[in-house]
Amino acid sequence: MRDLYQRLAVSPEADDQEIKRAVANCQHSALRQDAEAVFTIAERRDVYDTLHDTVSDIGRLRARLGLSHGPHWQGDVANDFSLPPDHAISRHDELVDRVSHAVSLYNRWRRLRAPWLLITMLVAGVGIGLALGLTLCLGLLPM
Amino acid sequence: MSIARFSPFELLLLKSRSQVDTATLLLLAWVLVHRQHVSEGQRRRRLAQVTAQFRHGHELGPVMSIAHSQDLQAIQLAAEVLRKECAKERNLSVIHQAIAVATDDGALSLANHYILRFLADLLSIPPVTLNTLFHELTGTPLGAPDDPSRDAYWQIHDPDYHARKARDAEAAKQQHQQAQAQAEQRQRQKDERQQYKQQKQQEKQQEKQQRQEQASQAREREQQRQRERAHQQDQQRQKQHQEKQQREQAKREQQRSQQDSYQRNSDQNSNQNSRQQEHRQKERGNQQRTSPPPDRTTRALSVLGLTPGASRIEVRHAYRRMAQLHHPDRFYSESEHQVALASARFQRIKNAYDYLMQTY
Repeated sequence: MRDLYQRLAVSPEADDQEIKRAVANCQHSALRQDAEAVFTIAERRDVYDTLHDTVSDIGRLRARLGLSHGPHWQGDVANDFSLPPDHAISRHDELVDRVSHAVSLYNRWRRLRAPWLLITMLVAGVGIGLALGLTLCLGLLPM
Repeated sequence: MSIARFSPFELLLLKSRSQVDTATLLLLAWVLVHRQHVSEGQRRRRLAQVTAQFRHGHELGPVMSIAHSQDLQAIQLAAEVLRKECAKERNLSVIHQAIAVATDDGALSLANHYILRFLADLLSIPPVTLNTLFHELTGTPLGAPDDPSRDAYWQIHDPDYHARKARDAEAAKQQHQQAQAQAEQRQRQKDERQQYKQQKQQEKQQEKQQRQEQASQAREREQQRQRERAHQQDQQRQKQHQEKQQREQAKREQQRSQQDSYQRNSDQNSNQNSRQQEHRQKERGNQQRTSPPPDRTTRALSVLGLTPGASRIEVRHAYRRMAQLHHPDRFYSESEHQVALASARFQRIKNAYDYLMQTY
């Protein structure tokens, strides 16, 4: 399994015309023959593209997990689909961070719930008192 | 502070009673998704059957849907969980389950070839163990995967196409033959017409010749009389003619000598021109050779674990680090196979480094 897109220097999303041009410009005769066999027929290109996606996903996974020199990753596949390690942090560490963040928020809410309840009760009582006073004033004036 | 919500798989992992089981479940579902010629219900049943012993305690539906969406981050998370928390004794059973799920009474699909090898690397299972395990489970050795980026693969796996192509070629041949036959017929007709014309012309010519012969006989009698008169005049003319010829010969010799000298000059000029052209062509060839394909440089950089644009010093440091990590002598104590694999890796790294040092 080789990455024909990379070897022809085309992007995998390129349309048929671009690929045809790249294949025609290719200097390596054996590579040109293989590329013609794969890219001239739409069904074959679909099959190749699905596998290409999967293998490049695996290449990305290996790069992130530090497995791009494993004993099972050899030959053409390793040459074409090995990526430089991107500096994405470990997903597990990220998950742990987010969980701990959520837990601290929850705990803070729990801890602050009692004083906040008191304050809201007070505010509500003051509000009710003011409203009552106003109605009384409005009721007394006409009397 | 991240605004992103917890993804479905993260929620599943948090709710699960056993995180390792959930992670294994996702990876097995990933393998199952890449199996061909299996219906969705069969996949789900097979997954439930294999993971009957698991203690995760949640539904299988969401796991299957995550695997179907090819969520790379979820798969990465599962792989990390599996690598961190899976006990060494369990590694073999996980890969056992993966092989069973990938191949029961069917061929291993191309994608699963790579996925199984990824899982084996993840669980640090050496190739020998994987091969024997695969052989025990399926009865066939684990071969190298087919390569659909080559013409040979399609000649084997797409015979319909070649039958179609052969048929097209035959049809084209037949058309060509028909066209040829028609052309031959036309030519024959033309030839016949031409022959007919030629016969007519010959008849005409014969008639003409007969007339001419009659006329010529009459002329000859008159000419004989004239010749006798003319004979005396001829002798005088011959003397004059000889003098003229001598003069003309002298002129011709002069012209020849001039032409020769001109030709020599022009030959030298043309030689110089051709040499200059050759020189230019050579220069062009050199220019083409000196500009290497850009993708090879990036590939070599990625083998060393660098991004494009890394400096020469970084390349050297990366090479030293990689060489220390993958030097075959480090694996001397483990097994011959390990040493062979390490030397292949080391060779790959060294080739990349040599290439970069030449061109970078």
